[in-house]
Amino acid sequence: MEHTTLAHHLLLAGLLFALGLTGVLVRRNLLVVYMCLELMLAATTLAMVAFSRFAHKMDGAVFVFFVITVAAAEVAVGLALIVALYRRRGTIQSDALNLLRD
Amino acid sequence: MTSLLANIDPAFKTLAPRAADWLSILPEIAVAGLALLCLLQALLLPPAQRWLQPATARVGLLLVLVMSLTDGTPWNLPHGAENFPASFFTGADGLPAFHGLLRVQLENSEAVRLVFLACALGTSLLAGRFLRDRGVSVADYHHVLLIVTAAFMLLARANHFVVFFLTLETAAVGLYVLVGNLRRSAASLEAGVKYLVAGGLSSALLLMGIVLIYGSLATPTNDSLGFADIAAALQATQGNVNPLTLVGVALVFAGAAFKLGAFPFHTWIPDVYQGAPTPTTALLATASKAAGALALFVLVTGPFAALGAKLGPLLAGLAILTLLAGNLAALAATDVKRTLALSGVAHAGFLLAALAVAVVAPNVHFETIGGLAISAEHAIYFYLYAYILGTFLTSAALVSLPVAEDHDRPLLGLRGLLRRSPVLASALGFGIGSLAGIPPSAGFVAKLIILALLVKAKLWWVLGVALVGVAVSIHYYFSLLREAFIRPTEDGDELAPLPVPASTRFLIGALCAATLALGVAMLL
Repeated sequence: MEHTTLAHHLLLAGLLFALGLTGVLVRRNLLVVYMCLELMLAATTLAMVAFSRFAHKMDGAVFVFFVITVAAAEVAVGLALIVALYRRRGTIQSDALNLLRD
Repeated sequence: MTSLLANIDPAFKTLAPRAADWLSILPEIAVAGLALLCLLQALLLPPAQRWLQPATARVGLLLVLVMSLTDGTPWNLPHGAENFPASFFTGADGLPAFHGLLRVQLENSEAVRLVFLACALGTSLLAGRFLRDRGVSVADYHHVLLIVTAAFMLLARANHFVVFFLTLETAAVGLYVLVGNLRRSAASLEAGVKYLVAGGLSSALLLMGIVLIYGSLATPTNDSLGFADIAAALQATQGNVNPLTLVGVALVFAGAAFKLGAFPFHTWIPDVYQGAPTPTTALLATASKAAGALALFVLVTGPFAALGAKLGPLLAGLAILTLLAGNLAALAATDVKRTLALSGVAHAGFLLAALAVAVVAPNVHFETIGGLAISAEHAIYFYLYAYILGTFLTSAALVSLPVAEDHDRPLLGLRGLLRRSPVLASALGFGIGSLAGIPPSAGFVAKLIILALLVKAKLWWVLGVALVGVAVSIHYYFSLLREAFIRPTEDGDELAPLPVPASTRFLIGALCAATLALGVAMLL
């Protein structure tokens, strides 16, 4: 294969996105679920950069910086919540989150 | 600074925001500044002056509210447009403000700001005592609350997907903090983590949608993240849209539908609303839902307007499913907060129905007896006002009820409320009466307007399901009222009278009066 094309990048991004989505839906450990969410965000940024590069534009690539910043803020809050939950409950398995129900 | 950069790159001169651009979002900037002030107070105020904290935020919010409702100011352009030269809006170069990032000349800019400022003020009034009783910092809570408010106010005027995504995410991250705010409560943390995972999933889907739209519509010269260029590109396809774009639009819809709590993205709602601190529940139910509805409205009438033939039936179908899902699930709920959460899903269904009217029949109006012509957009605002009033009334009653655990509020807990505290009972009665749509409350008129618009737009299926939904909702709303007003209590010590602080009395009185006045004023 001589050149990588837009389709190659999108295929990889799509696979990563699907992998992340599967993980979010299937895994039970909250930390792993959270990693899978970040994997989905990373997949979208990959697709964004590829689109931007192959359309010969910079705006998509710049948007990625904003996305990374937002993801960092989300991780800061998310990990704090997960750690606080672990301290309070002693587990981060999603099966154990059964306090809220009718 | 600007001139310095312009010397380096002449292009910066045309891209840099002008003074008029900043003035047009002065209320938003003021709210964000107020948030920083709260943070400073948290650091600097000695414990004896802590009472200053919520007071500053509330007075500040009131000032911003007065400022936003003043006509003819640079931040309320539609009414004062004649007072400003044309170059004020566009600059001498004729470019749109903020280079098209924000809609500066926004119709209803007052209505948008009133929604979110009222939600913030109501949440602040509920939160002060609630947080102090639980030993949680009031200042930190207000800081995040005000940041979320400013983000929502900007979201409603987004004109570009970068602004749309950033404001939505700023608000979402803030709301994760507010939901998980009670660090000693396992329920609050559990709700926070559940909201985090559901919200993270929805923002990943939303972002993928934005990326697909960007990629499939990009040409070397257009701005395929800007709403104006997306609308133009979709218009140019003349119904023959790239499937990749359609997937993108569907994913963006999913992201906004999550905020609104529309089917099938409503499953997080009961757990999160139940576990969140009650003031945050009120904020989620009002501001977050309003932001979802207004964001969807901006999307379907702005960038995606050319897809109306596809989006109209989709919105109508979503409205039907959301009304069914919310009402049926609320029938089975036995916890007060869960019942109200699921009834909120049904209210989202009503908002979706109004959105469907806005897409299917944009020129349809409802004529009031007084001769006002109300469009679907105005119906959405009016519905939001009525819903916000009802939600804050019921939340005020719930917050003032002493409970061991904030997330554990069975229907039985309301028993004998009328004898324990007539003020709280009347708050619950007025709030639930308005949410259920009892005349002449604001909620009744709001529902009536949307139902009449559905008739005029000939959306018969939505109308039918909405009417059935109203009938079903009467059942679960009145099972709440029956506990509070009619059911006798068994043991006497449960009947100890509940003291209600003067500030809560004032809030409840004002909200009751507003609920009645809004309803009667629209009926006349």
